[in-house]
Amino acid sequence: MTARVLVIEDHPPSLDLVRYLLVATGYEALVAEDGLSGLALAEAESPDLVICDIQMPGLDGYQVLARLRANPRLASIPVVAVTAFSMVGDRRRILEAGFEGYIPKPIIPEAFVAQVTAYLPPERRIALPGTNG
Amino acid sequence: MEQRPHIIADTSRHDPAGDADFSRILLKESPDAAIVLSTTGHILHWSPTAEAMFGFSGSEVTGRLLTDLVVPTEHLGEERQILDRILSQGGATHESIRRCKDGTLIYAAISGKLVERSQDGTCVIVMTQKDVTQLKVQRDAKLVEARYRDVLESMPDGIIMVNATGRIVFSNTQAERLFGYDAGTLRGTLIEQLLPDRLRAQHLEHRSHYLGQPRARPMGIGLELYGLRRDGSEFPVEISLSPLKTEDSTLVSAAVRDITERKRFERALQEKNLELAAANQAKDRFLANMSHELRTPLNAIIGFTGTLLMKLPGPLTSEQERQLRTVKLSAAHLLALINDLLDVAKIEAGKFEVTPAVIDLTTVLEEVATTLQPSAEAKGLRFVLVLPATPVVFAVDRRAFSQIVLNLLTNAIKFTDRGEITIALECRSEEGRQIVGVTVCDTGVGIAQADLERLFEPFSRVGSDRERMKEGTGLGLHLSQKLAGLIGGRIAVRSVFSQGSAFTLTLEEPPR
Repeated sequence: MTARVLVIEDHPPSLDLVRYLLVATGYEALVAEDGLSGLALAEAESPDLVICDIQMPGLDGYQVLARLRANPRLASIPVVAVTAFSMVGDRRRILEAGFEGYIPKPIIPEAFVAQVTAYLPPERRIALPGTNG
Repeated sequence: MEQRPHIIADTSRHDPAGDADFSRILLKESPDAAIVLSTTGHILHWSPTAEAMFGFSGSEVTGRLLTDLVVPTEHLGEERQILDRILSQGGATHESIRRCKDGTLIYAAISGKLVERSQDGTCVIVMTQKDVTQLKVQRDAKLVEARYRDVLESMPDGIIMVNATGRIVFSNTQAERLFGYDAGTLRGTLIEQLLPDRLRAQHLEHRSHYLGQPRARPMGIGLELYGLRRDGSEFPVEISLSPLKTEDSTLVSAAVRDITERKRFERALQEKNLELAAANQAKDRFLANMSHELRTPLNAIIGFTGTLLMKLPGPLTSEQERQLRTVKLSAAHLLALINDLLDVAKIEAGKFEVTPAVIDLTTVLEEVATTLQPSAEAKGLRFVLVLPATPVVFAVDRRAFSQIVLNLLTNAIKFTDRGEITIALECRSEEGRQIVGVTVCDTGVGIAQADLERLFEPFSRVGSDRERMKEGTGLGLHLSQKLAGLIGGRIAVRSVFSQGSAFTLTLEEPPR
């Protein structure tokens, strides 16, 4: 079974881009445009990975992460931040908050799926052209 | 024994009526306190005038030790000697400090006499105490004025002299002006009168403590001190204390300075600093937001250009592909511009932090060269790295240093179509200080003499538009020069048009 990735992102073009890249590679993408509906989707679907924006109206990325971690059923799902906060110190701040990964925007489309795949359990990964995965 | 005890008690009933009345008047209305003590010092009788002087009522004190009630701790030894003298010699007279019920200290002239009672032959001590506080103030004032008046009047600060009872014996004109009193009117008043109500009790405590171990020192270190003017207004003060020993007691001199102006200045400075900090934070937030907002749409532009070029949605005609590559390059250019602009903004806002660390410069140069050698060789350029045989150890911010070299090297490759790129590290010592120079030399287009001066300005237009197309953001050299400034260095350039350029970054060890 291919991996299912939940994408939480309030900027529709960016959400569309990430969803497109994942689906084009063969992954299943679940999408949410805000933190609360993202959490509801996570609860209902138990995805293999969560990709989450940081700056969002309502719950921000840090709060989404905290609620995922507070839920025993969802606490072990890896969460990768994809954010336009990419000034000096942002990476450290985000990783220290407990995100498994940090990918700054603009993303590099040719590399993005490979970057994300690294956070999936090996048996759920799709072998990408040009990689050993 | 020089004096025999006299029998004075129980004589009134034999006296004529008029004399009895005088005795009663004398006992009740005499300005001096009259006290009768047992030979052990316990109070047997306490006259109404004693009540008036000390504030204790007769019923409060009867049966208690006089020393427990009105003798300050530091005078207990002296009091014991006086009592012994009365018992052994029949009487004694002295002047000392007494403490009233409310804590006020007064000077008292004290006479005591041993008296044998007629009924049973037991002895008691009859004592009178006269309040000589104001007399003492006048004596101290006379002494201070005679010896020190001219010196104290010449002081720029307000000077106030206080005796052991806390009463003012002298104040110079500056002090009187500070507190709003007419000349001489402060004499005899308690120093606490010059303090706001809320500070008085504490001051009384500190004052007696100070007299226990007098030495010159500033008063109330770390405390906010305030003076009270005659009109009831307060003002912040700074006070220095010093003891002055006279023949029979210790006076305390206080130099008082009004620091209203200084406080106002400090407060204004503090407010300005807060404003500055807030403005700085606003600037930080603005930079962070601007960076975030510019990157967000770029994410979709670069991302979808990428998916199209990756042909994920389907095949492209060659013209579509050519145009999409132009979009991709322009988007990358825009991103580089945003990054450089943010760096320049951070440097100008003082937000670009440099932390010097001792590093081997040859290692850093090798790393940068390794990164860029492929792109030089891809253009068919010879790439030469000239390093000293031994490590060059220097304290510098690694990130800034390698970014400058990277920028210079990228430029050299960009503007050179044939020949070679040389990067060389030189190291010398001048007056014991180490000086290092990194020179990036190319055989490229070169820079016209007229353009050299403006080369480090942002967006300086050098060469034709076509050549500028190859250029990066137009901020690379500007940013590099600013970074060089941050790490205490500078970049110099030599160039011959159409023959090549040499950029040298020079770093000097700071003077020890």
